[in-house]
Amino acid sequence: MIITQTKAMLIDAYRELNARKLFWITMGLNLLVVALFASLGINEKGPSFWHWTFDNPFFNSERVSPELFYKFQFVTWGTPFWLSWIATILALVSTAGIIPDLVAGGSIETMISKPISRTRLFLTKYIFGLGFATLQVAVFSTGCFLVMWIRGGTTEFGLFMAIPLVVLFFSYLFSVCVLLGLITRSTVASLLVTILLWFVVFAVNATDVLVLQQKVQFDVEVETLEARLANQNKRADEQVERILESGEPIEDNEGNPITDPEDRRKAAFPMITRTRADLQRAEEAQQTWSTWTDRVVLIKTILPKTGETIGLLDRYLVTGDELAVLMARQNGFKIDEDQLPSERGPGAPDPRVQSRLQEEMRNRNVTWILGTSLAFEAVMLILSGIIFVRRDF
Amino acid sequence: MCHGRPGRANQKQPSPLAASVPPRSYPEPPMTNLAIDISNASKTYKGKIHALRGVDLHVGRGEVFGLLGPNGAGKSTLVKILMTVIRPSTVSGTVLGKPVTDKSTLARVGYLPEHHRFPDYLKGWQVLDFYGGMAGIPRKTRKQRIGQLLELVGMQDWSTKRIKQYSKGMRQRVGLAQALMNDPDLVLLDEPTDGVDPKGRRDIRGICQQLKDEGRTVFINSHLLSELEMVCDRVAIMVQGLVAQQGTIDELTEGQEHYHIELAGDPERLEAAMRTALPNTGIVKQLPTPSEQAQSAHQPPPQHAGRPANLARVSAARGELTTGEWIEINRESLRIGTADPEAVRPIVKALVDGGHTIKTLSRHRPSLEDLFMAAIENPDTGESIGPGAIRENSSIRNKPKSPPPSRPEGRDEDNGGEL
Repeated sequence: MIITQTKAMLIDAYRELNARKLFWITMGLNLLVVALFASLGINEKGPSFWHWTFDNPFFNSERVSPELFYKFQFVTWGTPFWLSWIATILALVSTAGIIPDLVAGGSIETMISKPISRTRLFLTKYIFGLGFATLQVAVFSTGCFLVMWIRGGTTEFGLFMAIPLVVLFFSYLFSVCVLLGLITRSTVASLLVTILLWFVVFAVNATDVLVLQQKVQFDVEVETLEARLANQNKRADEQVERILESGEPIEDNEGNPITDPEDRRKAAFPMITRTRADLQRAEEAQQTWSTWTDRVVLIKTILPKTGETIGLLDRYLVTGDELAVLMARQNGFKIDEDQLPSERGPGAPDPRVQSRLQEEMRNRNVTWILGTSLAFEAVMLILSGIIFVRRDF
Repeated sequence: MCHGRPGRANQKQPSPLAASVPPRSYPEPPMTNLAIDISNASKTYKGKIHALRGVDLHVGRGEVFGLLGPNGAGKSTLVKILMTVIRPSTVSGTVLGKPVTDKSTLARVGYLPEHHRFPDYLKGWQVLDFYGGMAGIPRKTRKQRIGQLLELVGMQDWSTKRIKQYSKGMRQRVGLAQALMNDPDLVLLDEPTDGVDPKGRRDIRGICQQLKDEGRTVFINSHLLSELEMVCDRVAIMVQGLVAQQGTIDELTEGQEHYHIELAGDPERLEAAMRTALPNTGIVKQLPTPSEQAQSAHQPPPQHAGRPANLARVSAARGELTTGEWIEINRESLRIGTADPEAVRPIVKALVDGGHTIKTLSRHRPSLEDLFMAAIENPDTGESIGPGAIRENSSIRNKPKSPPPSRPEGRDEDNGGEL
């Protein structure tokens, strides 16, 4: 009986999708994006779009292989923008009505008067909702795989990791949508509040990146200033040594001899005082931003990690070395190791900070990312399940 | 087909509100062969709304049972409890021999909900296929039954059209077919003829009869009393969360039959003449004088067992025959509370001997509507109880009328003298 009922619901889900225009529109858009992906390319002169080539001495097939180019395009545009935003919104719009339609008056009575437990009915509907997202990502990933195979000359099976990861990402939002759908019984209300929550999560993620970037920037500043101070100390010691060897006294402004080694350094190399002050300021700022980073991470712990979940695909597809190559090629300029990030100006992000930020994000614990997100989803589902099982319809 | 059964004192009054309702006695089917056998079914919603207040209901296997009552009486709540759609506050008993809340029983139960809504994207046959699948019916069996049932409900020509193209009556027909997909032993139909044209109603009655002939139990919840009267073996009338009456229609109307005599002539003159003539025949024991009658008109109408309350409310001269039956004179009409023609004969003779012309003489049995109206009447005001369930702080006037016993006791001394 369980198999018969599940098959009946599966066929019904297919009929429902088939009847929805939005499903086919989304599928069509998926294929359009794949076509756009296929129209991108890279040759010895630079990147290309259809038959146009954009000359770039730092970004061409001699420096970046077509395989890496396509992988980079997939993780830079395909996943974060298409799958994580537009396709997800379309999927939410398509699936937001599943639970409100199920619990609508006149519909639910017929369903739950069948010999099926409410829990199983609810979970099956939920899983079929995720199936919709799975279908979309599968079509997109397969299309991109074929593009990479034909145009990039590589069979990158890792692309298919997008399916579980994007579905996982979608499931966080869908669980909220389902709970709200049960509470409000309204498709529009559940959809709007879910998208609102999504923006809250996005804002927290953006804050996290911003705060982490500040922390990393001051990490780099402290390290740079420490290196600069060590260098200045060394040069000051050499200066002091030279003065002492010449037999000249080291005196202060009033002509009193300076005996303290530290004071001698400062006298011999006055920049040290400023560097120390800068270092102290940077350390204080580092401490402040570190505290804020911890606080934001704490807040994020109870929220679904949408950005990081999608980011796992980057980790899987592009190795750290490949990323370094891409970033170096893209930046295309030399880094002055003694220059502070804050001295570069607002329009010129420090590559060290960017690189360190990427590293910090990539090194975040997978168990923390997925575990806490799944815990969030589980809470949503348990609440929904309790409401669905206990409600009088 | 009637099931005459001895009455049973119903002494279980678990709900605090139910305590205000006097004990009732119901004729019931044999307790050994019940499709539905529930006791103390109660449901209180948030806001202390008492939708059900301790319902006992017993439906025999193979009978067509009708549940009726005003809006908010708790009919749909009761049906939904049986179908596990609503969780009861309290209930005990069985459906098809298994506990009420047992989901596995539903494989043998068909249900047509009131105001059901099937997905618009499905075609007629797909509705049956889907809900049949949900009932656990194998694909092969479903395929066979879909054709049969669509033909049964007269929808075979529409089977490939989408539901959104259907009229309300057509949806109801498909809904009925859906309820029969699992070849059920018990079929619960909530307002099955809602939106259905007269031919469709007749078809549905025919289907109910066919189901009964096949030995299935049919439980119908409906407002259409005439429909129920035509098809049901037994009925229950619910009022404000309680079963006010339960039994076969014959049982419920037993003793409530009366003769109606209409005379030809001036109504005022006839009434005066009958008031004078009838007590002198020695047949009529007493009749109130016009002044006594005017005084009694300002008092709440007494409860006359064996007589529908709406009849008792009529502004008429009420009296009693020497044989104990009640008699009413109202202008040119005369009612005598008996089904025995011998008891009427002396009155007819007296009227004819008195020179009156009898225009009509007929025997009346209360309809289901009369029973229904009597059941929903407020005993204090004589007005019909308004729609809606009882709230905890409802005023007393909203409590259900104490129902007339299903076995009228018109000859009892207690009632015989209350005219």
